[in-house]
Amino acid sequence: MKQFQKEFNALLEYWPDEDREFRELRLKAFDQFKKIGFPTKKWEEWQFTDFSLIKNSDFHLSWDSDIPTIPKNIPGRIQDTYLILIVNGHYQPQLSDIPDEVSVVKRKEHFKKNPELYSIESSSNPFLSLNTSMMNSGLPIYIKENAIIKRPLQIIYLTTNLSAKLMNHPRFSCQIGENAEATIIEHYTGSTSSPYFTNAVSSINLEKNSRLNHIRIQEEDLNSNHTAFTSYTLDNQSQLEATYISSGSLLFRHNVKLILKNKGANATVNGLSLTKTNQHHDQHIIVDHASDSCQSDQLFKYILSDRSSGVFNGKVIVREKTKQTNANQSNKNLLLSPNALMNANPQLEIYADDVKCSHGSTTGQIDSEALFYLRSRGISQQRAMELIVSGFAKDIIDYIKNTDIKSYISEYVFNWLEGSIKNV
Amino acid sequence: MLEIKNLHAGIDGKEILKGLDLTIKAGELHAIMGRNGSGKSTLANIITGRENYEVTSGTVKFNGNNILDMSPENRALEGIFMSFQYPVVIPGVNNTYFLRAALNSKLKHNELKEVNAADFMRLIREKLKLVEMDEKYLSRAVNDGFSGGEKKKNEILQMLTLEPKLSILDETDSGLDIDALRIIAQGVNNFRNSERSFLAITHYQRLLDHMKPDFIHVLIDGKIVKSGGMSLAQELEEKGYSWLEA
Repeated sequence: MKQFQKEFNALLEYWPDEDREFRELRLKAFDQFKKIGFPTKKWEEWQFTDFSLIKNSDFHLSWDSDIPTIPKNIPGRIQDTYLILIVNGHYQPQLSDIPDEVSVVKRKEHFKKNPELYSIESSSNPFLSLNTSMMNSGLPIYIKENAIIKRPLQIIYLTTNLSAKLMNHPRFSCQIGENAEATIIEHYTGSTSSPYFTNAVSSINLEKNSRLNHIRIQEEDLNSNHTAFTSYTLDNQSQLEATYISSGSLLFRHNVKLILKNKGANATVNGLSLTKTNQHHDQHIIVDHASDSCQSDQLFKYILSDRSSGVFNGKVIVREKTKQTNANQSNKNLLLSPNALMNANPQLEIYADDVKCSHGSTTGQIDSEALFYLRSRGISQQRAMELIVSGFAKDIIDYIKNTDIKSYISEYVFNWLEGSIKNV
Repeated sequence: MLEIKNLHAGIDGKEILKGLDLTIKAGELHAIMGRNGSGKSTLANIITGRENYEVTSGTVKFNGNNILDMSPENRALEGIFMSFQYPVVIPGVNNTYFLRAALNSKLKHNELKEVNAADFMRLIREKLKLVEMDEKYLSRAVNDGFSGGEKKKNEILQMLTLEPKLSILDETDSGLDIDALRIIAQGVNNFRNSERSFLAITHYQRLLDHMKPDFIHVLIDGKIVKSGGMSLAQELEEKGYSWLEA
């Protein structure tokens, strides 16, 4: 905690002329963070994850001097996309390419206009408080009403060439205007020999009748820790299709809170988590049906090898007096090693009666019958396992409609599989 | 082609085959009949190399080579094929992709040029006609959402594509309607030639009426107790198996 206090003080000194109200927010948030502290095994919602690596490490905030020489070929760049590039926490406008329909707003202005998006009062998540107190990266953007942005917008958070243990607290705020349509890729990638810590918060609002494809790729270096909080608010008739692909970080914790706030909103949230060595991936998803005629579908899959472990905790809440709710939640996990471990806890909290809900969770190993079937056709054991495991991941990938994103992710998942199945 | 001598084998410590002898020459179609639990499927599983089966004594040779220590994929590459009694559903693995991967494994093993996607489509469409299968089954996942009959046709489609030397048909007739049975029997019959051998495992005479095996063997309690021609099947149909039991 001392280290975080020291870094917080340094941040206040670094930006002495920050807006007073904004500064008050930081101070309040840091107080709250100190009060809550790091999660312990006794906290029910956090019990399977050990945060001592973050707590006991001496990460320091990234300053301008931490901007490295930026590689010519940006890692993870997906073809035919717009780009917002953030390197070691620092926005690189000269290398970014943003369409006219997207406006990048100053943090201060965004905060003044939307103070509620920065409220931490009802939160008990220490990483949200920490991010709010130290937010030093990321951007607020608006997508204009009626804008239809054909090419995806890729936001790359690249961590590279570190000379010390860095931390960043990127804050991405995004508002999709009425009737607008966009695809946004939030892409965290890193390659460095030094440990680092990313603590991201994204708040995404979909206004009436807007549509968003949100792809979140987490392929941080295995040396890193990544905590994240993503919140969505969906207005009337808006549609969200979110896909999370995660294979990076030694420790990964992602909290998602999705509110279907007004009538007819529709959300699909899918996730594919790939873990090896002693990685630990923990995802907590809350989908809150707060209005009538809303639909939510979740499919989360984990593929775990070596001694890695995963947690899936999904909760669907259907509020009192809501009508015509349709909610589905499914979690499927494939263990590639006898030492891999999965904790799954799908939950429903239903306070209304006009509801169609389903939920379920399964965890298993590679089907030996399927393996024998393929081998009996002359396909090698290695190849047969690759086919079965990539078949397991396929429906998540197939859900991604943009062909450039889809081919990037297919290749990325396949490379992961090829490397991980050899050790089975 | 296949030479089995004094085979003793079982699973989970239980002996199922108790001294089985069987020789199949090139071009022959043999049928094995017997009650449930007599060891028919165990025999098929041992020839194809399914895990967990234990051979305690005896030999299984294929083209002169002992195959018992070979992996299932190497047996397949040498030319052994089994049409599964219960074809396995493999979610997310495209049927065409699977078929081409299997064929290319074989071509590569035989030091032949692998077939590209376009050429393979031409080839597979021809084979598809032989088993009267709809093209839609090519774009689905392996056996996913196939009816019982379509699954069995898909097995025969694989046989026609991979062109094995020895094809084991494990209760290929079970769960088939008359039309599907006719199509499958026709597929097998057209595929027969002087180089290819077959081992059909069945409960029923009706498949044999279509295929006209060269030899019929009756398996009781892990041993072949009687062998004969088509007339034996007729006799079994009339009298059952009890007259052959000790």
